[in-house]
Amino acid sequence: MEMSVAGKDAGKATSGRRQKKKLVPDKWRKGFEITVLSAPAIIIFLAFVILPVVMAAYYGFFQWKGYGSPSVNGKFAGFQNYITILQDPQFQQAVWHNGFVVVMSLVVQGPLAIIFALLINVKMKGRALIRTLIFVPYVVSEVIVGTGWSLLLQSKGAVNDLLSKIGLKGADWIADPKIAIWTLLFVISWKYLGFAVILMLAGMQSIPEELYEAARVDGASFWQQQWKITLPLLGPTIRLWAFLSIIGSLQLFDLVYIIWGQYVSATAGTSTMATYMVLEGRGAGNYGYGSAVAVILFIISLVIAMVYQKFVLNRDLEGAITDEKSEKKRARKEAKAAAKAAKAEQAEGSAVAARSAQ
Amino acid sequence: MRLKPLIAVAAATATLLSMGACGNSSSSSSSDSNGKVTLTMWHNSTTGDGKAYYEGVAKAFEKKYPNVTIKIQAIQDEDFKGKIQTALQDPNSAPDIFFQRGGQEMQNMVDADQLMDLTDVISSDVKTSVGSAIDAGTIGDKVYAIPFTVTPGGMWYSKDLFKKAGIDKTPTTMAELKTDITKLKDAGIAPVALGAKDAWPAAHWWYWSALRECSTDTFNAAMKSKKFDDACWNRAGKDVQSIQKLGAFNDGYLTTSAQQGANSSAGLLANHKAAMELMGAWEPGVVKDLTADKKDMSDLGYFQFPAVDGGEGDAKALMGGADSFSVYKTAPKKEAGEFLNFLMTKENQEAWVKAFSAPPANKDAQSTVTGEALKEALNAYNTSSSYSMWLDTLFGTNVGNALNASVVNMLAGKGTPADITKAATDAAAKG
Repeated sequence: MEMSVAGKDAGKATSGRRQKKKLVPDKWRKGFEITVLSAPAIIIFLAFVILPVVMAAYYGFFQWKGYGSPSVNGKFAGFQNYITILQDPQFQQAVWHNGFVVVMSLVVQGPLAIIFALLINVKMKGRALIRTLIFVPYVVSEVIVGTGWSLLLQSKGAVNDLLSKIGLKGADWIADPKIAIWTLLFVISWKYLGFAVILMLAGMQSIPEELYEAARVDGASFWQQQWKITLPLLGPTIRLWAFLSIIGSLQLFDLVYIIWGQYVSATAGTSTMATYMVLEGRGAGNYGYGSAVAVILFIISLVIAMVYQKFVLNRDLEGAITDEKSEKKRARKEAKAAAKAAKAEQAEGSAVAARSAQ
Repeated sequence: MRLKPLIAVAAATATLLSMGACGNSSSSSSSDSNGKVTLTMWHNSTTGDGKAYYEGVAKAFEKKYPNVTIKIQAIQDEDFKGKIQTALQDPNSAPDIFFQRGGQEMQNMVDADQLMDLTDVISSDVKTSVGSAIDAGTIGDKVYAIPFTVTPGGMWYSKDLFKKAGIDKTPTTMAELKTDITKLKDAGIAPVALGAKDAWPAAHWWYWSALRECSTDTFNAAMKSKKFDDACWNRAGKDVQSIQKLGAFNDGYLTTSAQQGANSSAGLLANHKAAMELMGAWEPGVVKDLTADKKDMSDLGYFQFPAVDGGEGDAKALMGGADSFSVYKTAPKKEAGEFLNFLMTKENQEAWVKAFSAPPANKDAQSTVTGEALKEALNAYNTSSSYSMWLDTLFGTNVGNALNASVVNMLAGKGTPADITKAATDAAAKG
């Protein structure tokens, strides 16, 4: 995509200064350069992203155990795998759990992260320390977080012990199907809040100080400043964070896998599409079926990402991509706006004329 | 203009292909003109004595056969299946000799033409010494794997804790077991350790109940047809449910793993936090690693899974596993065979027993087995009326995993005994 864009620009540039006749036209030379220079990136992308997706799509059409090749040792099943997956209550539950985590992560982490960032953004003693502390859980690896929390939250773990010491009765945080998903949400929030805070903080620091000064001069209170200046100007950061959070939630795997394991996660009500994929694919040795799950996970993520980019991230990306289409679109938009303005002016003009005629 | 990306893609693909070609030049096993042979071997003993045992055997073999070098790779058991399956897909990455559990997975390897026929590679001495255990590595009339250990299952218990609860005789019927569970509970002891996080330990309760509930014919027929129409299968589920309803299992058993650390079910037994566990004959070895001083658990005992009241199954029928070694089809046949036969000698099997505290497949080496519990398990094996493979091994991971997970589901109160057999049928649709 970008390649063709660059090529086009190159084409324009050369046509502008065609002074001497060269053995190899500039156009070709530039094209060649671009091909060679972008080849490593394209190769890696093709080999490790596109090829696996294509292979998964191919495997997904077979009932195949992962021994030998699907066409010889497997059985062609057409779309049967996909039908079985979509009808499987276990998968439907996993999708539901993913959806819950997507929405609740946004609802819980977003406001908390902004509030934390606001507080840390204020100059105070020990700011650097607090910043580091908030960011620590994000740096710690998922496996350690998972193991740590699963030990703490066991029915005879430290958390319940602490609760009983202050006279409260704990619960079976991990195994009880009614509580487990909230436990998961808690651990996720604990782990990823730091990341959101750092993003928000970076966003806030790029807001010019002058705006706040001007607001203060006008007598705006602290909260008014945040509401009217910080939040609107933080928009791009929030939208970007939300995007990362949604994608992360859709692909949620390691924490669930570590804390619950692949077998119990469905029972405890914390299974995700990814744990379902591993359980039914690699775990059960149904590599064809597992690949089909992977394809569905890919499509769901892709559709959500595209829709989000189109309708939410769109305005942040404007100006970043200058291909012909969007240029034309913008020109059309501008023309429309101009026409509208002209019409309004005209209407106003005629109204004025009418008024003056009265 | 539009051609450019296409050209780039073509260039990229060409590079990729050439990269792929490079990869082909390396090979896992090799023999050069001097007759030097390198054998690669994968096993699943990553710690302590077990790992040292294989290194020692390899060295001894290299000394005896100077032209052979053995490259050993120890792989964590949980990762083993996935890794071996991937490695077997390419002759260049496949190990020459590798650990395997048999059952449906071995059948799949045979179907994909990945295993060497060992029928005339294994010496007749070895064949005689393992006796009927070789059936576990045989499909039709061909031997594809040679078992080096048999691991009959049963109940492993702490004699001290049983005494403490006032139990003087191990239970032989389900009713007695239930009484003992209540006694243990009354004495403030967690009766049964269960690592349901790994699913299969929970499923073993169902397997054993089914083995006792179903007549031998019904059981064997279902092993082939994978159909569970007989009422005995549902009764097995109800048996497990009734045990669970007694509150027999340790607190938080759903999130307890089987063998990892002191909080695992084996760890609970090792540290006298629970009185018994239903397991295979690897238990003494596993428990040993989890006791505080890493020494054998001195009061460990064994009894067979009790007979079910009104069950149609044989009380002397046994279930268990048989761990084996297979050879990849293109491995150097002569040398690989020599190594397998070397592993199976009385001497090396005795060393194996010392390293693993588990029963050897070579019957001549059985006399070295120490520990009362293990001896009793071995005795049960030698006098058993039949020996069935673990159901999840037998059925393969597809149906096996579904069975295991559905037993866990039932224990958590999210499924019924009938859902277990339904899960097995549903799983068949996925593979």
